[in-house]
Amino acid sequence: MLISDGTNAKALLCQRCPCRILNPLKGSFVRKEMFLPHMKKKSETQAPTDGETLNDYWLVHDMYTFENVGFSNAVGNTKYLICADCEIGPIGWQDTQNPKDIYVALDRVRHE
Amino acid sequence: MAKTYDYLFKLLLIGDSGVGKTCVLFRFSEDAFNSTFISTIGIDFKIRTIELEGKKIKLQIWDTAGQERFRTITTAYYRGAMGIMLVYDITNEKSFYNIRTWIRNIEEHASNDVEKMILGNKCDMNDRRQVSKEKGEALAVEYGVKFLETSAKASINVEEGFISLARDIKAKMDRKLEASNPSNRTAHQLKNEPSKKSRKWSCALL
Repeated sequence: MLISDGTNAKALLCQRCPCRILNPLKGSFVRKEMFLPHMKKKSETQAPTDGETLNDYWLVHDMYTFENVGFSNAVGNTKYLICADCEIGPIGWQDTQNPKDIYVALDRVRHE
Repeated sequence: MAKTYDYLFKLLLIGDSGVGKTCVLFRFSEDAFNSTFISTIGIDFKIRTIELEGKKIKLQIWDTAGQERFRTITTAYYRGAMGIMLVYDITNEKSFYNIRTWIRNIEEHASNDVEKMILGNKCDMNDRRQVSKEKGEALAVEYGVKFLETSAKASINVEEGFISLARDIKAKMDRKLEASNPSNRTAHQLKNEPSKKSRKWSCALL
């Protein structure tokens, strides 16, 4: 069970290193369509901007709610989230027009 | 939702380009990851959480993001900063001498009571060392600030550095609070417990 009362039942950790991103119950589960560049190499010919559309996210309303996270520079209206330690990403995004809405992709973190 | 922390400190990393403020260890060591995208757009800032004396402290850490090349770091960049990490590279003497320039820049543009600390980074590269540890320590003594040699790559002393800087900022803040509200004196229960360490920050200074 990943969801408890609409929030994350487990802590969110980086998929590559032990970095703790978010404590349990701090993000709300939302469905939203967003294209994110891949964080893993799928093929030799992959371009840096190749990616996939993901639909399931943990929504966090205050950046200081995170335990550890990094924000990229903005590309258009989007800042991408990365692991604060090993800098893998994007693990989510923030729309700079609505900076209070920060999304972490369920598929791009470990739940523990 | 209730606030999830007791203190929020804004910190800056300052130093010449190439002193290793951001580290590249993981980026190049694991081919399975697509690191091109993030390294192309660059990192704005990071949020870190530490515990000090039973209090939860959020650190928001900014890098100069290459602006140092153009010497364009002015008042706007320093605004709101409560602590500054001055970083040089122990294998690059010039970056060490430039710490003085950076301190002058800080004195000119930053708030007077900003806490400072000097880090000599890349101490895992002793065979290429150009700046002795003693020289680093002497400089820190001259300016009355703390000093550590770090390796962002081998994760030596990086977290310790930030904890030390945060402790100084917190102490200063607590003193100010007490001065403005002396009746609260007994409410402060400062316990000097060593912070519980579950893990070490790996890789990146920023």
